[in-house]
Amino acid sequence: MVIAIGLVMGLAGFALDGVGEPVGAAIRRREPELRLEPAMNTGPGILLALLGGFRGPVADALWLRLYSSWERQDIAGTRALVRLVTSVDPRPAYFWINGARMLAYDVAAWRMAGGSASLREDARRQIRHEQAGEALAYLDAARPIHDDSAAVWMERANIALNQLRDFEAAAHHYRRAWEAPGGPYHAARLHARALRLAGRPREALAWLVQLHPGLPCDDDAAAAAAVLDRIRELESELGVPAAEAYRPQEQ
Amino acid sequence: MAVLQRIGILAHNTLRAAARQRLFHLIILLAFALVLGARWFREFNFGAPELKFLADCGLGAMGFFGAALAITATGQLFFHELETRTAQTILAKPVRRSEFILGKLLGVGGLLLGFCVALALLLIAVLWSRESELMQQLPEAFENGRQVNYAGVLLAGALQWLKLIVLASLTLLVASFAQSQLFSVLAGFAILAIGHLQHLAHDAYRRSASAAVRLLGGAVVSAFPRFDIFGVADGLDAGLPAGSDIARVVAYGLGYAGIACALAIFSFGRREI
Repeated sequence: MVIAIGLVMGLAGFALDGVGEPVGAAIRRREPELRLEPAMNTGPGILLALLGGFRGPVADALWLRLYSSWERQDIAGTRALVRLVTSVDPRPAYFWINGARMLAYDVAAWRMAGGSASLREDARRQIRHEQAGEALAYLDAARPIHDDSAAVWMERANIALNQLRDFEAAAHHYRRAWEAPGGPYHAARLHARALRLAGRPREALAWLVQLHPGLPCDDDAAAAAAVLDRIRELESELGVPAAEAYRPQEQ
Repeated sequence: MAVLQRIGILAHNTLRAAARQRLFHLIILLAFALVLGARWFREFNFGAPELKFLADCGLGAMGFFGAALAITATGQLFFHELETRTAQTILAKPVRRSEFILGKLLGVGGLLLGFCVALALLLIAVLWSRESELMQQLPEAFENGRQVNYAGVLLAGALQWLKLIVLASLTLLVASFAQSQLFSVLAGFAILAIGHLQHLAHDAYRRSASAAVRLLGGAVVSAFPRFDIFGVADGLDAGLPAGSDIARVVAYGLGYAGIACALAIFSFGRREI
């Protein structure tokens, strides 16, 4: 009889699966798939998160454990816990941003320190690139729920700029950060700087010229005066004739 | 009419028996303590905004302790009737076995409804009180008024209740043919774990290259409900889910609960007591 009950449940569930699947798919789009590291001792707390509740508090407890691994400069533990925390609770951008920083900067520094003292510059660059790639791939997993987060795009841009020296990518990411809801003013300025570093000063100038009129003068964060200074620098660098120079409107 | 009356009496008696159980008092007390105490745990919160953390704790308590309550209450109240031979007395009267099962399920459902409503109201009170404090401390962060979607909290509580009903129905189904309370309770917890890991199993069998594995995997996986979809309204800041999504979750939950209940009636009808 148990087999018959199982069969009926299976058949009925098959029909009901079509009802629930669109909702499950929507939840998966909102929250990346839970990936557990099978070799890792995750402790009983993870069971609480798996059983449907306490995702936030369990992720906080795991974040504390991550700090402990980070303090010991335990590369494997830090890598695994960084991923586990965001697997358990992918909603806070804080975990993604700080996890990416650990992977991009701290793990790179530990790997360099752990190598031979006379590690050549190309080997160091290789490590920086590998860690930046790992951090950016990690941040890619955040996109389903943090695609419009200015802070996540800023972090992506900073890693591209500081670790990869990929100015084109940095320019693109800073622009995405500026265009995101609540995007900070400095993202727009950094977009221009990255364009300049990428050897595209004309585009940087055009960007700042179209940006400047919209900057509020009474907001220090907008730094309208600094933007005007940079416009002048670029005009001077590009030899823009005085007649064609940007003229700010009186506000 | 008489059928409904008999089911109502059985449900009422089940609820009264549940109210006398100390284990249930303990579970309910722990859940309430956790929701109230969440305010003092916020120092350990890193990632989420404070109000979201409080909501997570509250809904987590509702889901976890509610599941413990649904499983233990169903197992204990069902087997208590069999062990004390009350079931034989009841069934000797003109009470059908289907009415007995429905009465048990409705009684446990009532207990779970009381638990979810009380915990949801407590959570709303905790969130409201803390949000009011934060509004006074940080008025610029609340320029657009309150941030917590209280209707969403109530909806999340309602969907948690539906999930607990499904869990109770499945535990009752196991109890209808199981020989011991311990087995039913352990099976209930196993169903809870399987239900929460279902989405992983779904993805795993769908990725398989073999059609046979996909079919077999699908059949095995479908025998258990997936509990992740009942959390569709858990996102505090995500706004209310679409009406069609809510309708799907309700239909899914009622479908599973109905089938499990029908099978429990079928199975209990053939049981020798």
